[in-house]
Amino acid sequence: MLVQALIKPNTYFDSVSLMSLSTKANQIEEVEQAIIAMGTEMNKEVMKNVGLMTPEVEAAGASDLMIVVKAETDELCETAFEKINDLFTKKNSGKKGKNDIKYSTISSAAGSNPEANLAIIAVNGAYAAREAKKALENDLHVMMFSDNVGIEDEIELKKLAHEKGLLMMGPDCGTAIIGNTALCFANAVRKGNIGIVGASGTGSQEVSVRVHEFGYGISQLIGTGGRDLKEEVGGIMMLDGIQALEDDEETKVIVVISKPPAPSVEEKVLAKIKTCKKPVVVWFVGGNEEKITEAGAHFAKMSKEAALKAVLLAGADESKLNKRALNIPLIEEVRTKLTPEQKYVRGLFSGGTLCDEAMHAAMDKFDNVYSNIQRNPEYRLKDRYTSQEHTFIDFGDDEYTQGKPHPMIDPSTRLERFIQEAKDPSVGVIVMDFVIGYGAHEDPVGAFLPAIIEAKQQAEQEGRHLEVIGYVLGTELDPQDYEEQINKLLAADVTHASSMQNAGLLAREFVVKGE
Amino acid sequence: MLFVINAISGDTDFIKGIKNSIFTGFVHSTFNRTFNIECFENGDLYTIACSKLDNGPNTLIIDVDNMKPMDIEVNDRVRVEKNLLYIGDKHTISIDKAAKWESTLPTYPSNVEILKLNLMKMKEYINIHGVGGGIKKNVITQNLFDAEVSNMLEKRTLLLLNELLNDRISSALPHAVSLVGLGPGLTPSGDDFLTGLFTIFNMKNSPFYPYRSFCEDVLKKAKTLTNDISYMTLKKAAIGKVRESIISLLNSLLVEDDEDLFLSLNKLLNIGSSSGTDIALGIIFGMEANIRAGGKVC
Repeated sequence: MLVQALIKPNTYFDSVSLMSLSTKANQIEEVEQAIIAMGTEMNKEVMKNVGLMTPEVEAAGASDLMIVVKAETDELCETAFEKINDLFTKKNSGKKGKNDIKYSTISSAAGSNPEANLAIIAVNGAYAAREAKKALENDLHVMMFSDNVGIEDEIELKKLAHEKGLLMMGPDCGTAIIGNTALCFANAVRKGNIGIVGASGTGSQEVSVRVHEFGYGISQLIGTGGRDLKEEVGGIMMLDGIQALEDDEETKVIVVISKPPAPSVEEKVLAKIKTCKKPVVVWFVGGNEEKITEAGAHFAKMSKEAALKAVLLAGADESKLNKRALNIPLIEEVRTKLTPEQKYVRGLFSGGTLCDEAMHAAMDKFDNVYSNIQRNPEYRLKDRYTSQEHTFIDFGDDEYTQGKPHPMIDPSTRLERFIQEAKDPSVGVIVMDFVIGYGAHEDPVGAFLPAIIEAKQQAEQEGRHLEVIGYVLGTELDPQDYEEQINKLLAADVTHASSMQNAGLLAREFVVKGE
Repeated sequence: MLFVINAISGDTDFIKGIKNSIFTGFVHSTFNRTFNIECFENGDLYTIACSKLDNGPNTLIIDVDNMKPMDIEVNDRVRVEKNLLYIGDKHTISIDKAAKWESTLPTYPSNVEILKLNLMKMKEYINIHGVGGGIKKNVITQNLFDAEVSNMLEKRTLLLLNELLNDRISSALPHAVSLVGLGPGLTPSGDDFLTGLFTIFNMKNSPFYPYRSFCEDVLKKAKTLTNDISYMTLKKAAIGKVRESIISLLNSLLVEDDEDLFLSLNKLLNIGSSSGTDIALGIIFGMEANIRAGGKVC
């Protein structure tokens, strides 16, 4: 056995790293024994006692690092040293640069990055308001991803932001695009001249990708948080957002997106729109057309319609746009495949507004539409685990996400429900969204594929056709492969809808009987 | 571009040095969660630590989670200007909002009954949760070197204890010195053990308090026996200046509060690889020596 030593002068590694390096060094195949230790007199005495003393070890100083290897031959010792050196190199390498610095407080982050003008708050809701206040006091716009923030805190923060001329996006604001930078859950879309201010995350995402598909782009996408248009909050952020887009030189057309606001807030928002010098498209899911048009705004009943109206107002030539009309022959074909008993649609959604839009499409034709987000208590799901007739579930709603990540990240809860619904012989169609983009699951369709294939086969064996509609919300610029997601759906014999609007309408039409 | 980072808290003397603009030096060593500065004025090492670490002598806690992305390199020049600490041309540390911290040891109790009980609990806890490989023996030793280190630590600590308990302070000295630098880590196990022991020697009213110059006698011999970083820790411990987690544990040992005791102990045990355990065992050793010596030593 040979003993060789390598001395690294004045080299310090913390004890945990030294221990880890030592353990790894001893796992190297060529090594009989490896010791990594500081070259103190006492450690050299130990080396001597165990027969590992070498002239290099003898000469080492207390601040030098000793690497001693015992192996069969010189060559094996050399090989071992090379491998140990690799371990040290790996230990020392790592990303460097100011973007990787993590600050513990808003004040430090702001102080160290004077050019920054926006803070994203994603801490526990109990602390979020305090942090947001600090950010506003540091003259930073705020995007607050955190939820479970008190409504009083929300009002106070929004008032403070308003006074300071800042944006207070949220609480519970998951989507924004500021200066062509997507924040949290957002899609990679072209930069353009259409500005969105939305109280709905996936609704805003949907309109942004439709605008992109029509060949136009987004100047800014400002989120307000879901409660902004409630009576108590009074639409402070929606009003400020509209103003911000009106002031923004890049923005030529404004799209306003929300669930129907509280009447008093709707009045304020429409009054604001009335004075706005830029054209405004309003998509209030299930909203009242008359009031909106009276305010001089352009009413949109559904998401694609909102995007279409926006691009037309921005100057698009309608004749050159592919509006992707519904595939009527396909509707006829699917209707014939479904048995008379297969009467119901089950909508399983990761996006709240996507669920809402599909649900409203169904409500236009059917009375018996149930959901966990139904505004009419009579049609609220009695038991969240059991569907009733036509059922649409928003799996991003709090009751389904207790202790779990959002379904756009973790598909497990929705997947279990899909398997359950697929077994129900009264179900004709299951419609689902697959949201890609920043922050979303890397392969949402892939996560469902085995279950979809199995469910369809099972249904066939039972003598029924299970129609599955999938909609991929995303663009070809998103980090995930958009085309691949669609191809996966098609390969599993899933009907791919080109927009959420089409998905909702197709689902509804597939189960219509006797038309 | 120069980044300004706030210091959260820091050793009073270190902050005073920065405020008096008498601090210049260079980066001596860098780690993931700390870096050390060697001061030109007094040759001492000063530590800049990330926010997850506790306060300590010559230490400034700054508002970052990890030092690695700061790109600080050994030999970067350090200077002070207008209450700001400049690290090369990369970072500026502001002490304006830093809370001052000072290492103050509790007084040794006149009634040691609670202390005795707590030491028993502490030993049991270390038996289960302590990290072996240093003063605490590993049941299975991986290699000859570790086994020999372990044997030497055991023998030398026993010899030291024996001399201390028999009032032979001067003959205890070589045994204490023989522990300095013993162990493979950045702060060798022997040094960590002595840090714990020195702390107890510096507790006012303890039987060994009048003999605390013993610590400085050990230190005089230690300069060439260990590395600069570990030496600095020993140097401070020799005058009763130790990190916050050690002081918390001492305070917990003096009161009847198991939850507090185990929380403090756990925090200490998490230091380094086996360092926390070695320090804790040094504390136990020192406390037991004090209890057993009682009124005999003075």
